[in-house]
Amino acid sequence: MSEVNALVLAGYGLNCDHETAYAFELAGAEATRVHINSLINGDVKLEDFQIMVFVGGFSWGDDHGAGVIQAVRFKTNLGEKLQEFIDNGNLVLGICNGFQTLVNLGLLPGFNHDYSTRSVALTFNDCGNFRDDWVNLTVNSASPCIFTKDMDSLELPIRHGEGKFYSDESTIERLLNNNQVAIQYSMPDGKLANGAFPYNPNGSVLDIAGICDPTGRIFGLMPHPEAYNHPTNHPDWTRKKEELKRQGKAFEMSPTIGLRIFQNAVDYIQNS
Amino acid sequence: MPNRLEITLKSNLFDAEGEGIRQKAKNYFGIDLSQVRTIHVVTIDADLSDEQLKKIQTEVFTNPVTQISSFEPLPVEFNWTIWVGYRPGVKDNPGSTAVEAMEDILGIKFGPNEAVYTSKRFCLKGKGLTAEDTDKIAGELLANDIIQQWKIISKEDWDPEVGIGFIIPKVRLDHIPTVITIPIDSDSTLKRISDERNLALNPNDIPIIRKYFLDENVQTARTKVGLSDPTDIELEYISQARSDHCNHNTFRGLFHYHDLATDNLEIVDNLFKTCIETPTLELKKKKSWVVSVLWDNAGVGRFDQDHYYVVTGETHNSPSNMEAYGGAITGIVGIYRDPMGTGKGSKLIMGSYGYCVGHRDYNGHLKPRLHPRRLLDGVIEGVRDGGNKSGIPTPFGQVFFNNGYMGKCLVFVTALGIMPDMVKEEPAEQKDISPGDLVIMSGGRVGKDGIHGVTAASESFSEHTPAGHVQIGDPYTQKKMHDFLLEARDEGLIKFITDNGGGGLSSSIGESAMFSNGCDIQLEKVPLKYEGLDQWEIWISESQERMTVAVRPEDLKRFLELSEKHAVESTVVGTFTDTGKLHITYNGKTCAYIDLDLLSSGFPQWEFDAHWQPPDKRGLFEPVIKEPVDYETLLKDILSRPNICSKEWISRQYDHEVQGTSVIKPLVGVGRDVNSDATVLRPVLDSNKGLAFSQSLMPTYSLIDAYHMTSCTIDEAVRRLLSIGANFEHIGGVDNFCWPNIQYNPGNNPDGRFKAAQLVRSCRALRDICLAYEIPLLSGKDSMYVDGHLPGRYGETHKISALETLQFSATSVIDDITKCITMDSKMPGDLVYVLGITRNELGGSEYYEHFGYIGLNVPKVMPDQFTPVYRALDHAVDKEIVASAHGVYRGGLGVHLSLMAMGGNLGMEVDLAKVPLDNVDRNDTILFSESAGRFIVSIDPQHKELFENIFRELPCTCVGKITEEPDFVVKGIDNKIIISVPVNDLKAAWKKPFKDLC
Repeated sequence: MSEVNALVLAGYGLNCDHETAYAFELAGAEATRVHINSLINGDVKLEDFQIMVFVGGFSWGDDHGAGVIQAVRFKTNLGEKLQEFIDNGNLVLGICNGFQTLVNLGLLPGFNHDYSTRSVALTFNDCGNFRDDWVNLTVNSASPCIFTKDMDSLELPIRHGEGKFYSDESTIERLLNNNQVAIQYSMPDGKLANGAFPYNPNGSVLDIAGICDPTGRIFGLMPHPEAYNHPTNHPDWTRKKEELKRQGKAFEMSPTIGLRIFQNAVDYIQNS
Repeated sequence: MPNRLEITLKSNLFDAEGEGIRQKAKNYFGIDLSQVRTIHVVTIDADLSDEQLKKIQTEVFTNPVTQISSFEPLPVEFNWTIWVGYRPGVKDNPGSTAVEAMEDILGIKFGPNEAVYTSKRFCLKGKGLTAEDTDKIAGELLANDIIQQWKIISKEDWDPEVGIGFIIPKVRLDHIPTVITIPIDSDSTLKRISDERNLALNPNDIPIIRKYFLDENVQTARTKVGLSDPTDIELEYISQARSDHCNHNTFRGLFHYHDLATDNLEIVDNLFKTCIETPTLELKKKKSWVVSVLWDNAGVGRFDQDHYYVVTGETHNSPSNMEAYGGAITGIVGIYRDPMGTGKGSKLIMGSYGYCVGHRDYNGHLKPRLHPRRLLDGVIEGVRDGGNKSGIPTPFGQVFFNNGYMGKCLVFVTALGIMPDMVKEEPAEQKDISPGDLVIMSGGRVGKDGIHGVTAASESFSEHTPAGHVQIGDPYTQKKMHDFLLEARDEGLIKFITDNGGGGLSSSIGESAMFSNGCDIQLEKVPLKYEGLDQWEIWISESQERMTVAVRPEDLKRFLELSEKHAVESTVVGTFTDTGKLHITYNGKTCAYIDLDLLSSGFPQWEFDAHWQPPDKRGLFEPVIKEPVDYETLLKDILSRPNICSKEWISRQYDHEVQGTSVIKPLVGVGRDVNSDATVLRPVLDSNKGLAFSQSLMPTYSLIDAYHMTSCTIDEAVRRLLSIGANFEHIGGVDNFCWPNIQYNPGNNPDGRFKAAQLVRSCRALRDICLAYEIPLLSGKDSMYVDGHLPGRYGETHKISALETLQFSATSVIDDITKCITMDSKMPGDLVYVLGITRNELGGSEYYEHFGYIGLNVPKVMPDQFTPVYRALDHAVDKEIVASAHGVYRGGLGVHLSLMAMGGNLGMEVDLAKVPLDNVDRNDTILFSESAGRFIVSIDPQHKELFENIFRELPCTCVGKITEEPDFVVKGIDNKIIISVPVNDLKAAWKKPFKDLC
């Protein structure tokens, strides 16, 4: 088994680096938290990694549109290296602020191998406020997305003020046609939320919660899979445990479905 | 030439911010607007080429998918437009990050006179909208004149070429820093200067200060460094250090406690020592998990074999009362520096909040600076941004409405951190300084902000209180510093660390210097936001996001390297010495030279007269109420009361799961909408150990007796922890007192002696209950002047004093988080038990308050009776036979049985005759008495015998069961059904008051 190295960005107001690194380690990767400046000044080299994660947080305070300044900084200082990283068949994951950064960099949607055009946006939630809640998600099984392979639905927490996915109709159509819409907000019964608050927590067009590039190797999502790294992260776990007990079963400490996203990434690198 | 970029959402996109303003204008002021659109304005005061401007416009400031922008005023339609920008010198966080982004993308450096300023323009459309309406929306919704300026322009007066013009809020001081010598020829001269300069010196301290500076030896030594009479910076230093905020003069005071009922007179010397320090040190000997208490910025307890947890709490009342958002964000970001400055530094893992404000719908004649509704909105948002942007979860908090807080609101903020027990083979909780170690200031720069914050916090709010102490915390800058300091700590570079909060460098360096016994400071090295600050201003400025660190000279290089990597500014501003002197120079010239031991010598103890009159002697009595008939409506009405009802809109704005550690969330149950008793984290990700946290405050009981207010508050915090499965053997406490002024004055504070007696009683309860429950006080703070003078409708003013308030926070460590439980009912058929005795204790209850009564029979805590129940519950939870547990708090059994039913969205049948009672024979008393020491528990019927065995001989009876049928059914003691109502209806009533807020 080859070693899988995941680079987890940190610094400048990012704040999910510890748990994201932890999630990758649980999935069998060697995860390194790397300050953005260490990458820029060359102390750490992108080519030593196969997975790069733009984590959640408030990069540069998110004062001028979430993820905007982080994207500017990457474009200015690391644009070519990032392109090489992608061209070499590696994986890029953007979670929450990371997703916002990926769309501002233009890495997503990445139509026709164009990784620099901004054509989708994550803008202010329709509810007008930051919101923390767990959501139901439906996975598009036809999507090429590496990270959601063999999954059909899952629950994850969302925590954002700017998560409303927006673009013009033709772009949305293209995303749908390419099966780049990897996950969508849904109702507890699995049907799409169809915009209904709070199931669609932010007013995203077509309930879009996460998209990938046409290759499926770049994935961005608003929900936080790394915050479901342990069974007790789930809001219903005490009920679930009680139900199992009544059936004479123990509460299992098996890996959560949140970790599957990281596991899929690690497996992909190991198998490729 | 400055340039002004206006940015707005494309017109087909929903403007959530604008819509929020439209709704508030309607709901708060009855002003109908058809549309509000928001324009973000970036004013660039720098020399940039057109090409550069174009580049930043398209690549930084405009999202091509959602926004349009222009360097000309945007033609967004309006009837009136409002521009809101900061006043000069107010922290403009987006302005600073804009500079960072522009420097990066353009590859330039901004000059010292160049800057970016952000502001907003709101375009309001509405039929018949007037200038008065617009000004009201500007002044009472969008801007606060303490920190912001605004302009309103009508459609008719708008010049589409000029727009709002160029408003550059640059600070220009044109002032040469000057040290002034203060004459001390008499006490009255110094008193006069103290008043003029807002030094807030205590008149009793003045003779001691003069004596020091008149001492012959002192004068000789001062002459050698070129000083004579005290300088302004020296007196400012003494004033800060002697303030009640820093020195806790009240708690260390001498109380003449006179019980008027028995005519017994007692001398109570030093409440801190007798009621906090002594009991805590006694408990520390018994509890090996207590690591470090009573000296550092926060208390330290053991979490597991390799980690300690750190906890502290404080308030940020005065600034929040004037500028709610700025005050609250500064408060939460500020408290986060305390764990960072504890031991060699800890990582932040959690924050919590407690807000005490006037009623949201207050419509009386008093005119507070900010209406309670606006104040609460601002405070919520401040803590939201401060916590969320720091990447620290905020999974617990509480709100309490009472119009007594209209004089001054309370904003409690609490912070928890975690640290390894050892750093490079040295104990992490310890720190010290050797002579020769460098004094380093890390983080933000120093400006005029926050000057005299400490002394203002030690005064009642009046129209003369300087507004300049209001700031806007910057979580982004602090988060960078936090990450930097932890890396520096792990490399063993930090010898000593403390935060710059109240009193600025004066406090942080002044207090640090005690560890080596001296320091030499070169004040000109302190990085400033702008030139022209006087030396004393640099010394006491409370500019935020700064830490003071002691670093060995040989570690300086590495420390600065790491600082640069994290984009944090760190500057050597002096050296620690062992000369016994605080020696400050500015460009080589001495401006302060004071013996450090001055502060610990000879200042007089504050004295207070305390008069206690028991409640019955004060005319309190039990109201005469005949039993109600319509219990259903009554219960729904109680559930809808502001201090009982759902406040989900607040919890959901706070990120409560960042760091991936969430175990028990603030909202639990099937609908994830009912408040948990406490919260639990898994701060060390690869361990199944948990850190549990709860908080309580119940100031209403102070109307009867602050002793019982205090004991009930502590008891509630403890029961909250036990309800989620915490360990009764490990409970740490944090006391946060907020009290009105207790210094008697016949004109200004005629009931000061009573309030002083309440404080003495409260401290005694703190001591008694903490000893009984074995709770060491890991940390605590006090805020002593919760009074305000509010204008009325005839030009008169009214002194409004808050209820005597204690917030008590409690921590516990859980060995196995998978044994934690939540309060929601789990399964139909489960048996419902009530633990603990319900007594006739409606005094101060929500039930009485609903009818406008206070009553007399306040709940009492009886540790001897309660403790066996608590241990038994611990045992039952450990055996994993408890399906859900919930404490009985404000509102009594009626409210809390309902909440358990609501949590599971299941029905419940309860027989009140079966509730363990003591001398109670009425249904309303059983349902609404707030007796302490009680729980509601549900269990799987198959564990009945085992469960009842654990509680044998204890007050614990099965009172009913959980039902599939989703109704809440209560049988009264006369065997008749008195309530039968769908649980959903109860939930709807409980959610109703704030259901439209999100």
